[in-house]
Amino acid sequence: MASLDQLKQTFFDECDEALQQIEAGLTEIREGQHSDETVNAVFRGVHSVKGGAGIFGFEALVGFAHVFETLLDGVRRGSLQAVPDTVDVLLSAADVLSDLVSMSRSGKAVPAGFGNEVRTSLQHIIDGNGAPAAPAAAHAADDNTPAPAEFDGLDFKPVAVNFDEIHGDGGPRSYDILFRPKPDMLKKANEPLYLIRELRKLGELALTAQMEGLPPLTAMEPDRPYIWWKGTLETTAARDKIDEVFEFVVGDCDLEIVDTGAAAPLPEIADAPPTAPTEATPQQFAQPAPAAAPVVAAAPAETATEGRAAVAKPSATTTRIELERIDRVVNMVGELVISQAMLGQIVQELPEGISDRLTQVLDEVIHHTRELKDSVMSMRAQPVGSVFQRMPRLVRELSSKTGKKVRLEMVGETTEVDRSIIERLGDPLTHIIRNSVDHGIEQPTDRLSAGKGEEGTIRLSAEHRGGRIVIEVSDDGAGINSDRVLKKAREKGLVSADAVLSEDEISNLIMLPGFSTAETVSDISGRGVGMDVVRSNIQDIGGRISLKSERGRGMTIQLALPLTLAVMDGMVIKCGQQTYVMPLSSIVECLRPQRSEISNLIGTRGMLKLRGEFVQVVYLGELLDITAGAEESSESVVIITDAGDGVRFGLVVDELLGHQQVVIKSIEESYGSVPGIAAATILGNGRVAFILDVEKLNDLAVAVPGGMGTVVNKSVTKVALN
Amino acid sequence: MPNAVAVKVLVVDDQNSVRQMTRMTLEEIGFKHIHEAENGVKAMETASLQPLDLIISDYNMPEMDGLGLLRAVRGHPVVRKVPFILLTGRGDRELVVKAAQAGVNNYLVKPFTAAILREKIEQVMGKLS
Repeated sequence: MASLDQLKQTFFDECDEALQQIEAGLTEIREGQHSDETVNAVFRGVHSVKGGAGIFGFEALVGFAHVFETLLDGVRRGSLQAVPDTVDVLLSAADVLSDLVSMSRSGKAVPAGFGNEVRTSLQHIIDGNGAPAAPAAAHAADDNTPAPAEFDGLDFKPVAVNFDEIHGDGGPRSYDILFRPKPDMLKKANEPLYLIRELRKLGELALTAQMEGLPPLTAMEPDRPYIWWKGTLETTAARDKIDEVFEFVVGDCDLEIVDTGAAAPLPEIADAPPTAPTEATPQQFAQPAPAAAPVVAAAPAETATEGRAAVAKPSATTTRIELERIDRVVNMVGELVISQAMLGQIVQELPEGISDRLTQVLDEVIHHTRELKDSVMSMRAQPVGSVFQRMPRLVRELSSKTGKKVRLEMVGETTEVDRSIIERLGDPLTHIIRNSVDHGIEQPTDRLSAGKGEEGTIRLSAEHRGGRIVIEVSDDGAGINSDRVLKKAREKGLVSADAVLSEDEISNLIMLPGFSTAETVSDISGRGVGMDVVRSNIQDIGGRISLKSERGRGMTIQLALPLTLAVMDGMVIKCGQQTYVMPLSSIVECLRPQRSEISNLIGTRGMLKLRGEFVQVVYLGELLDITAGAEESSESVVIITDAGDGVRFGLVVDELLGHQQVVIKSIEESYGSVPGIAAATILGNGRVAFILDVEKLNDLAVAVPGGMGTVVNKSVTKVALN
Repeated sequence: MPNAVAVKVLVVDDQNSVRQMTRMTLEEIGFKHIHEAENGVKAMETASLQPLDLIISDYNMPEMDGLGLLRAVRGHPVVRKVPFILLTGRGDRELVVKAAQAGVNNYLVKPFTAAILREKIEQVMGKLS
């Protein structure tokens, strides 16, 4: 039995859905692409919030929703036009409503006068257009009016019924009846004739005995029914009464009772007679205590509220499961992956004759484990829409603050990704969008003189691409002013005065720590938290961020994120005595070049000539300060990696041990952040291996050109490995 | 005199929270057989599957609203006589007039207490035992 608190929780979940529906609908209306159904949907959304809020006693919410709803009702009926000004007021009303829901949810008291400004604007539009304003005004004035038991002055008299006559309409009804006893019905001491007599008591019965199954007398078994009946019953009795007749033989016969309709014409349904109104007794609404009665009827399957795609509700049957339970399964799958890797190790060590068949079975286990992992992960998946949904409001607020005109387009909101990633996506995305409005999009006048439309566009999109989710924020603003960025970077000593950088390289400078180009620190962005924080946030969840800017045309920031944080595909590599795992997603190719193909130029890292192009080479052993055999050996392997931002480099290691799924175990709690190491995992042989952080490795290589061993805390490496 | 325990009620509301709340209130009064539907279309499906003694429906729902459901019920050969109580908002006066014309038995303004719900049901079905 649901408790009141659980019901409130359900209500707030419904509010979230409704708010999303309102937001989506209003956006459509603003863009002039709406139908009547859009307005209806928005109206229904506000109405639902109001209705639930009333029942759960959130009066401030009820009061505001009521005025909001009154205006929408006017639009719906056509007495008010959805002109841009009105839509703007409606959009701010949606924001206030959303705030009120949050306050109610967190149990905070709503500050006096909260949202009054918007409320006044709503009321103003309602009053100015002759919409049904009077009741709204009355309620707006006093939120605490209890619901009336009756509407004053309304001539309505409850229509009483005779409980016994509810079923059927009093007139005779006709039923087609088919009754065929099964072979052992008589053996159970049931007499068809009695049933037929009972049936006849209900009304006009016309049954025909069907005797074609009757065998010759010599072959007849006395305790076996051969005859069955078909016909009609006209009766005034309720359907249950007919069912009752057959109550004890239901399993022992084939029975069909089909209602073929009313024999008599429908009686007039009288208009409510005008009589004296019953006395109104307004009562304060009290929360009823949760009843302990058992639930008899199963509640209809709930539509998913986890998947907040909202507007078009999925019709699939869903069930709610506590996240904790799913996480437990995720953990078990992780353990399973480790056990499976161990099993693989053992099988490899077995003599060939025995291992053959085992390998076959093991392959299947691997296949199933992978599928199991995918299924469990999809349970944790959530559409990115839940993060995207906050953005329209942000853009609206920012554009009104800056006086810029900005339109936000959103694509792929239903793309799903693990919720742990969703949770950590909000802040970086908010920051990027802020930047876009603040620095990217120009003032309307500047846009016009640049030959662009007055209104700037920010496009937010999400899609699955190659086992990752790619989120892009692009705008058609001014792009990055590379001169200014370069100047600033030089001032701050981030690049040397004589460095020659490409446009792209300059653009990427804005993601360096401590960089902010806003000439005046604005209210919106540039409060010291810059793109470097965004970048490290994204890297923390195993993502990559890249940036493309075209001066005068706009810029695009791309986030490529893993679909999950729990399990990943890795390449197990060996360097010296140590084993590491590299994320498969960051590997472009592996090759074994001749020693002569790597040229060591003085003052640079090694260079590998690869299909006519030079790729920088880094020795993993040097970076991590471990003794590797790679430098001298001609057997070393070079892994060409993609560290994001399109930066490629070759990582020299001793050996590739193979590809396997690994379970990611965080080491941050125990050791803090270790440069170059993303996490740890347990290999098939039971040993711990570090998972390399390719992007950080690249940073390390840049920071310490010689790859000196001070970079990694030796003791940490040793402790964890032994 | 209908016995609340025996009365089969159908609660129709698109909001799960409101539906559950209505169910809790009905249980408080003593009802035991409570079915639920999330809109008019689903309600008609439920109504065609089992005998019902009372329908309590919200007005504002997608697919088929409360008034649509009321008309569908009154036009249906089997359930046309089933008492129908419409839940309305505070401002829905006009709706009540329309519902009365369509043959509603009673209306109830949200939010409501168990006492008021009971009173409204009894006005239609007689004293509950």
